[in-house]
Amino acid sequence: MRIVFLVALLGGAIFYTYIAFSDLNFMTRTGRLGPGFFPRLVGAAMVVMTFWAILDALRDRRMVAAGGAPGPDDAPEGVWRDFLLLLGLAFGYAILVRLFGGFVSTVVYLIAALSLLNPGRHLQNALVAVIFPTGVYVLFDRVLNANMPPALFDILPF
Amino acid sequence: MEIFSDLVMGLSYAVTPINLAYLLIGAMVGMIVGVIPGFGPSAGLAILLPLTFGMDPIGAIMMLAAIYYGSMYGGTITSILLNTPGESATVASTFDGYPLAKKGRAGPALVMQAVASFVGGTVGVILITILAPMFSQVSRSFGPPEYFLLAMMGMLTLLVMIGSNWKLGVISALIGFALGTVGVDLETGQSRYTFGSAELIGGIYFIPIAIGLFGLGELFYAFYSQIHKSASGSLVEYGREQRFWPTAQDFLSTRWTMVRGSILGFVVGVIPGAGATIASLMAYSTERSLSKTPENFGQGEMAGLVAPETANNAASSGAMIPLLTLGIPGSASTAVLLAAFLLWGLRPGPLFMEQNPELAWGMIASMYLGNIILLAINIFAIPLFVQIIKVPYRILGPCVVVICLLGTFTVHASFVETWLMFAAGVVGFFMRLYGFSPAALVLALVLGPLAEEALRQTLTISRGSFGIFLDRPASLWIIGVTIALVVLLPLMGRIGAGAGRAEKAGG
Repeated sequence: MRIVFLVALLGGAIFYTYIAFSDLNFMTRTGRLGPGFFPRLVGAAMVVMTFWAILDALRDRRMVAAGGAPGPDDAPEGVWRDFLLLLGLAFGYAILVRLFGGFVSTVVYLIAALSLLNPGRHLQNALVAVIFPTGVYVLFDRVLNANMPPALFDILPF
Repeated sequence: MEIFSDLVMGLSYAVTPINLAYLLIGAMVGMIVGVIPGFGPSAGLAILLPLTFGMDPIGAIMMLAAIYYGSMYGGTITSILLNTPGESATVASTFDGYPLAKKGRAGPALVMQAVASFVGGTVGVILITILAPMFSQVSRSFGPPEYFLLAMMGMLTLLVMIGSNWKLGVISALIGFALGTVGVDLETGQSRYTFGSAELIGGIYFIPIAIGLFGLGELFYAFYSQIHKSASGSLVEYGREQRFWPTAQDFLSTRWTMVRGSILGFVVGVIPGAGATIASLMAYSTERSLSKTPENFGQGEMAGLVAPETANNAASSGAMIPLLTLGIPGSASTAVLLAAFLLWGLRPGPLFMEQNPELAWGMIASMYLGNIILLAINIFAIPLFVQIIKVPYRILGPCVVVICLLGTFTVHASFVETWLMFAAGVVGFFMRLYGFSPAALVLALVLGPLAEEALRQTLTISRGSFGIFLDRPASLWIIGVTIALVVLLPLMGRIGAGAGRAEKAGG
């Protein structure tokens, strides 16, 4: 996975550098340094460094395959399922917020998230799912007068 | 005398009922952020920064600063009671803090860490009061070449401290620089990397990236590494009736430890990139080597707890010097603080204290009060924080997602920014997983536009010659200091890491 991440970074770095060289001028017409000067330096360095890191990762992988110890950069052991679960919940919440606004979506999201992460404690989960969004609503909307996300489908009377 | 009158003026701005309330809230929030494992001051500051936009700038900066140094106090509670540091700067406090609690001295350990943190924090603020105006005076002669070099010094020292993963640190910094180039080029008015999007013309805002990397990214990593399933079963219970207060001997035996830890911590804190973690580990190591009973370290020696506590709090104060007087943050936390200043239209630097005395001195004065408040909270509200430790991470995690998302939205009422925060969270998770440095990315995102502007101005002044960096005495000094730091910092890091390894092996 580390190599996949690095290759994705390399792709981004090449794209960034391509734009810097093709669309952005190194010098302005008046002879001063142009908008492409800094991005070209950054982009070129990013491509070189990412390529170097990929070579290192490939070398580490070969060493591990040959029975050597894992390199210092190898990812620690963990559980992908729990990360993906939270990622999915957070992603779903971001969509819900757009559809139903800040308050309703937070209640729905917390009910879903807590029943998956804290199963069996229905009363505790229900209390958190109602009290926490209410507190956040009062803090953001009433006390701080900040923008709460508006709903596309407004189902609340207030 | 001028310093004294400036400080009194700062106090007059800081001591208002509403500002004191903000200070108290900041101190409490900082403590809570410090108590939650996996969340450091950077995450706390980034997540709570949007909430301060409706406030008066002095109150807001006082509150953010209190979150920053308050987290140093809070992180130690879990180090002592749970053997789990709330954040990296309190790792050294577990070495003797937890053994003290296991020996039935949790109460004295908690009080002594509060006193040590107070002493370190207060000595740090006294040194800021004296030294910040001097730093401002010296840096007034600085021009674009010096500012570019200072920005590079901040980046280089941070990268040097990353150690064996330095290549990944450089890539992280370059991603930050690249993100900093998005938007309209201020010199020519040409759009860069906006791809026709009106939302990107103003550039990529710092807040969604910082909240994504430090808030959501850290949370994803915590779930990946199963922190949400670890119980607080090893929490040491303590009762107030069982010798809660430290003995006179505890104070007497650690009085010079506090002095040494404060000074060492402050000096390390001033150095960009070194920070509170290195300071605390170095202070621990120094104290053990000076002790007549080094064999007691790791077995519950009070000096082993007091040394890192004074040092990490003094270091967090020391880090304010380059931030206020040069506008150069030395860490991710101070980068978030710099971003807060910039969002309010304030530009820290040599003229900051002269042009915004009420803000600069108001914040410094508030730090004296904040440390007193934190001392009181630490001693009398420990049961409250023990209850917070007991809140399961599996409940806390989903609530943090809510704060991250709604906090990002409130800044510009932009759904694009919430998706940007979400993307930064996913990238932040993979960066954390594969040894990249989110701190370097954030620092580069803040410093990148400043560095680019300074470099272009420098090369315009010199007609394209890089020799200008060697022609100016101030530039030469900065280059010299940078080289010295690049050589010395890894040695300091090794001393600290050596202390950590020795404790792990011993205990």
